[in-house]
Amino acid sequence: MEMIATTCVYCGCGCGLFIHVEDGRAVGVSPNPAHPISRGRLCVKGWLAADFVHHPDRLRAPLIRRGGRMVRSSWDEALTATAERLKEIRDEAGPGAVAVLTSAKGTNEENYLFAKLARAGLRTNNVDHVARLCHAPSVAGLGAALGSGAMTNPIRGLLSSDAILVTGSNTTEQHPLVAATILEAQSRGAALIVADPRRTQIASLADHRLAPRLGTDVAWINGLLNLIIEGGLADEEFIRERTAGFDALKESVSKYTPEVVEKISGIPPRDLEAAAAAFGEAPRAAVVYAMGTTQHSNGTENVLALANLVLATGNLGREGTGICPLRGHQNVQGACDMGALPNVYSGYQKVEDPAARGRMEAAWGTDLPPAPGLTAVEMMEAAKEGRLKGLFISGENPMMSYPDRGLVGRALESLEFFAVAEIFPTETTALADVVLPAASFAEKDGTFTSTERRVQRVRRAVPPPGEARPEVEVAAALLRRLGVPAEYASPEEVMAEIASVTPSYGGISYPRLGTAGLSWPCPDPDHPGTEILHKESFPIGRARFFPVELLAAGSDPEYPFLLTTGRSLFHFHTGSMTRRTHLLDRELPKPAVEMNPEDAAALGVRSGGRVVVESASGSLEVEARTTDTVPPGTVFFPFHFAEAPANLLTAADLDPRSKIPEFKRTPVRIRRLEG
Amino acid sequence: MTASLLRREGLVPLLRDLAETLEVVAPILVDGSAVFATWRGEEPALKADNPLNSPVEFFLPKREVLFRYVQYSGRYTFAEEPPKARLIFGMRPCDLRALEVLDRLFGADIPDHPYLARRRSTVVVVLNCTTPGERCFCGFLGSGPAAVGGYDLLLTDLGRGYLVEAGSPAGVFILQAHRCHFEEPLPEDHLEKERLLAGAEEELRGRRPALSPEVLKRAIEETDWEVAGSRCLSCGGCSLVCPVCHCFTVIDQGVPDGERLRCRDSCTLAGFSRMTSGANPRPSLGERLRHWYLDKFVYIPEKTGLFGCVGCGRCSRVCLSDVDRWSLLREGPR
Repeated sequence: MEMIATTCVYCGCGCGLFIHVEDGRAVGVSPNPAHPISRGRLCVKGWLAADFVHHPDRLRAPLIRRGGRMVRSSWDEALTATAERLKEIRDEAGPGAVAVLTSAKGTNEENYLFAKLARAGLRTNNVDHVARLCHAPSVAGLGAALGSGAMTNPIRGLLSSDAILVTGSNTTEQHPLVAATILEAQSRGAALIVADPRRTQIASLADHRLAPRLGTDVAWINGLLNLIIEGGLADEEFIRERTAGFDALKESVSKYTPEVVEKISGIPPRDLEAAAAAFGEAPRAAVVYAMGTTQHSNGTENVLALANLVLATGNLGREGTGICPLRGHQNVQGACDMGALPNVYSGYQKVEDPAARGRMEAAWGTDLPPAPGLTAVEMMEAAKEGRLKGLFISGENPMMSYPDRGLVGRALESLEFFAVAEIFPTETTALADVVLPAASFAEKDGTFTSTERRVQRVRRAVPPPGEARPEVEVAAALLRRLGVPAEYASPEEVMAEIASVTPSYGGISYPRLGTAGLSWPCPDPDHPGTEILHKESFPIGRARFFPVELLAAGSDPEYPFLLTTGRSLFHFHTGSMTRRTHLLDRELPKPAVEMNPEDAAALGVRSGGRVVVESASGSLEVEARTTDTVPPGTVFFPFHFAEAPANLLTAADLDPRSKIPEFKRTPVRIRRLEG
Repeated sequence: MTASLLRREGLVPLLRDLAETLEVVAPILVDGSAVFATWRGEEPALKADNPLNSPVEFFLPKREVLFRYVQYSGRYTFAEEPPKARLIFGMRPCDLRALEVLDRLFGADIPDHPYLARRRSTVVVVLNCTTPGERCFCGFLGSGPAAVGGYDLLLTDLGRGYLVEAGSPAGVFILQAHRCHFEEPLPEDHLEKERLLAGAEEELRGRRPALSPEVLKRAIEETDWEVAGSRCLSCGGCSLVCPVCHCFTVIDQGVPDGERLRCRDSCTLAGFSRMTSGANPRPSLGERLRHWYLDKFVYIPEKTGLFGCVGCGRCSRVCLSDVDRWSLLREGPR
């Protein structure tokens, strides 16, 4: 039996684990005690991370649609068809008519090459990935306020925090190793403040629990700021030396008295006051947030409000402080870093910046388009309207993960051509013209970048099934067919190219990536990496306060309930891996909408009874499960289940600044299904 | 010849000779941690902590193919693979005790053939613990730091070399067949072994108060499991890493051809005890944790006469909520 050291494929914690390999098969997983995050521990998904690898459903051969049926083909035929169709569309309808969606499950090397495929191969900036649906507001909001959209401090640093505010994060279920660190800090004396409409496990363990109404984050965060400033707890020296725009912020938040905040958010003044004191008085305080903050049509404003909070209290640039957007996928940070976004190259170099563009043109030996491309959800709209005609998707399942499934289905069906590289058949591959079988994380080499900017090795433990291939090879083969030289002997050579064109990855190379990896920025080969950002200064010089407002929360009498979507501990995203992991699927085998027992009683629904949930976008039938972890008036529904896809109900209402859709607050009505 | 001395520099050559006929499994360093894996010529990591992956995994894999089924013209044929001939080098006395518990469980009533076949085809070379790990508490449970039987060969690190004692005909055979690597031990080598192990035992006993099974049972009854469960993050790690835990589930993967798999299961997961109706006799995390302790300290002793816990400390090492599981019994939850 061999033990292959690699990085977990699920969430952004970036745990180091061993895959146990016997005769070319993955037979188990165990955590690496020497790894700085896992420290010999894993969550339940991590312990079972290799279980799906040999599932019989794995895609094993390339498929091409012929006469409405998927037919097995050779790799050469499938790759040539894909490259030629995309090229034809590009030549006929222009580069704006083609696009690439990359995958936050892919490696950095794959994301870099797929972004290169879009830009150098297809001459379009239409490239995006699922970060659009998770932390686009962090990239936009923290980028504007601090100059960098990434987590500022390492996960382990939370152990030295005196107060930790967790908001919009079901941390124990979605980032269990971060939760373990937070709970360890709490055991050592840190005050734990949790704001969440649902009473999640971490909320139930909080020292101060805030339960705002859905969608009222800006109001209570401004309220906290107001109390902190009024109470003389702001860090005046930090504000004076390192920030700009405080006076406007102070004036803006002065409106948010505890009474006003209570009216909007439902948080009682004494709870808000206790939380403000705990956070404001802490010498070192940190903010941890996730999708509950960002997945709103005002997601960027929520992020800006949190940035204002850490800036006003001087909680940046030191151990135990910081603002920590927890990234959902194990490599969504890396996919962003690699420039799988429509407006930036790798390392967040703007495509609109002629100097940056000139450097990339020289490196890639080609002209590059100057205007930013379409974002993920905009691609779906463009496809439906016929402006987008050709699409390449690497490892995404928009039919399940994007808002307004009805719209996505019409969009994908309207495309003249689209190809998908995947490990399992999905709701999206079912509609594709070409399906390419991909290698899973256990079958390829590369790197993932965790939520704390830690670049870590991924190692091939077992061979891919059938004819499946690592997507680095797929991207390189497509690039060559589009006339771009792409002779890479290994992913390591791709990383060498990444390092040569990406200042923040300049010092990263495989031999340097030991057990703990390296945190970017790591600009040169002797640089030790950067665990804490903004120690001396911000990339934009002074950080900026952006006042944001929310003085009323809307309601719709036709749709009296608010639906919030999310994930469970036992499944990951659209379930293509976890629903094929026996123990995980057994834990949560079927979908159920969670509602408060009071609401259930009023509707005459028992736990286990069936209901119809309707929104302006669509409706579905599902089992109800009563639980007092959701407040009256709110229902929770995970989006893992193809048999009841939550995103039939959500709408593609986008945040104007970051283009993230509103997943967390959809007005719905519910009725009991007779019989 | 039942006892010999193996000089330190003789260890790797001995393993190289053994590896000619058997797959040798030993603790080796991979990415900074000691793990049990196939030995490929490196220096074994015998000074490191006992690896998190217990060598029991080689007898009861976390995921094993019981047989493959192939359909041909409407008829099924079944294929089983014979077990590999293996030698596990450097197993600790606690893990050996875990094997003894499993022998009594899987060898009784309805014999478990895949387990017993692997047991028969594996040579067990145990290393006494002269320097116990930080979280170990085998001393109190009688499962360490010294092995008292059940091994093929037993090693004790005396500094200048390893005292090697045979405990079975297979062990005697290895000593004979590879005698070129061994030399005659001195009488004081046996005394040195006793001295080192007495020191280790004293250290372990100093860490934990002696508790009888009756006291343990009462401690389990008096612990507030709902408080303990409130901080449990449901990772299942304690039961997945435990060398004695052995519960499994059987699944068939693949139609019409495929595999019947036996996979490790965990009683800390709700689905383990959930009934067909959906009702669950142990619905809360606290109740499932309590059940896990009862199994280890009450049910398994009733069945086998041995504790279902060997004091290896792995459950504490992997616990996501950082519960020191021994203190939980001794002092109640924090």
